[in-house]
Amino acid sequence: MISGTSSWLPATSVSASGKRIQREMVELNNDPPPHCSAGPKGDNLYHWIATIIGTPGTPYQGGIFFLDIIFPTDYPFNPPQVVFKTRIYHCNVEPDGHVSMGILKDGWSPALTITKVLLAVRSLLTNPDPYNAVVPGIAHLYLGDRAKHDDIAAEWTVRFAK
Amino acid sequence: MVSDSIAAAPILSAANTKNPGKKKRTNRSAKLKQYKIDARREQWLSQGAVKNKGCKDGIDDDGHVPSLPVGKHSKRELEKVETRRRGEDDDVSIHQDSDSESPSNSPISSNSSVLCGNDSGTNFTGSSSGGSSSSSSSSGGCYSGNITEEEEDDDEEVEEGDDECLDDWEAVADALAADDKLQTSSQDEPVVETDSSCEVTNGSGVGSMSSKPGSDGVLPWASGNNKAWRADDAFRPQTLPNLSKQHSMPNPDRCCGGGIPWSRNSVPSNCPICCEDLDLTDSSFLPCNCGFRLCLFCHKRILEQDGRCPGCRKQYECEPIETEASVHGGSLTLRLARSVSMIERTLKCLQIIIQQTGPWVVFEHQGRYSTEILC
Repeated sequence: MISGTSSWLPATSVSASGKRIQREMVELNNDPPPHCSAGPKGDNLYHWIATIIGTPGTPYQGGIFFLDIIFPTDYPFNPPQVVFKTRIYHCNVEPDGHVSMGILKDGWSPALTITKVLLAVRSLLTNPDPYNAVVPGIAHLYLGDRAKHDDIAAEWTVRFAK
Repeated sequence: MVSDSIAAAPILSAANTKNPGKKKRTNRSAKLKQYKIDARREQWLSQGAVKNKGCKDGIDDDGHVPSLPVGKHSKRELEKVETRRRGEDDDVSIHQDSDSESPSNSPISSNSSVLCGNDSGTNFTGSSSGGSSSSSSSSGGCYSGNITEEEEDDDEEVEEGDDECLDDWEAVADALAADDKLQTSSQDEPVVETDSSCEVTNGSGVGSMSSKPGSDGVLPWASGNNKAWRADDAFRPQTLPNLSKQHSMPNPDRCCGGGIPWSRNSVPSNCPICCEDLDLTDSSFLPCNCGFRLCLFCHKRILEQDGRCPGCRKQYECEPIETEASVHGGSLTLRLARSVSMIERTLKCLQIIIQQTGPWVVFEHQGRYSTEILC
């Protein structure tokens, strides 16, 4: 329905972004980042599904977190949308799963790739950024009572990510 | 060079006549000289008929001959000829001996001259027999004749040459032309041809001891092709000196060939943003000091949005058109100063950049700017 009205207008940019996304897909297959994987969900090149395995030593260890990556049609000039499909207790992940990261907003650069985005998300799981949190309660807990925060996060990992 | 050798010859001869220890060798070399003169007489007789072919056959020889240094050879030739002009055997022997302070040079050279004459005489057929040796020896002979009799002869056929060989050939060519009263034909020869012919003449005269003129037929150009070697010719003998330094004018072929590989150095082949191939304009486009390269389309697209460099996230310059054009043009002209055609492309490049403000938007609105602007 939407595609009917908007498909032909940005036709050139769609093909350009498609080429770029395909290139990224090839590079991701050739040189996958550690503990990450990503690929198109179906035959839609602009809708990927990715997995991140929780880093050992963090409350997310052992968890397998699924993410949806939705590329805009003017990718890479605009950042992709990265959404956790697996519930996660993290101060920088909105309750609906949207990841709040600088590089996915104003800090986006067209030179960034999905590989780098996944690595950044994985790094965010290791080192949350409570000062730019989207869930203030989790950020407060993280700053005030780190052990309790980690316990809850580990519990969520066991509940939802395994 | 020429005047030096002429002036040096009497002095050396005078010094050597006082040296009785060299008398024996002098006699021997006088004998050799006599043989040589006899051989040359025969060559001179046939010289008129084969003169025009002489150059070609001389070239043949040179393919196999490691030529001696030009200056030494020409000097020796000059001396030999001068002595012959005097027509006295004593003078000949003395000069021949005095000419070579190193004892082995003179006999070898005279021997080689004789051998050259004999070899070419036996191996070449018909009117071209003896052409090689006649060209070499007669060039030497006319050399002195040219100096003594037509010293002020104009040499407009050769461009200014810092090369020793070029000077030598200049005189040799003049001598050839003056000797046979065919100056016009000699003057019409292109410069490059005269250059290589000069080397050839020298080489065949001196180094033909090891040359095998009979194998000349193997070379593809030996059959009547009297054009000179090009520097990039595959069949060009490696013994020939490098001709490239004699090109005083820029060679357009070389410029075009040299410019292309430059532009591919250390420049990504694809735009990191859109993954499209970078064309020449794109690869020479450096919008940010951080060195991040991208194609003009992506750059324009970014300028429409936040205008920050994808590589360093710094803002592009406020007036990117002027600053980029100047920076871009400066770097290009610096790198391409030696290439004429690339400078043209620089101008084209600048035009495209300048077009970014006006026509670019229109093209992009049509959705097919990629083809239209680059054409």
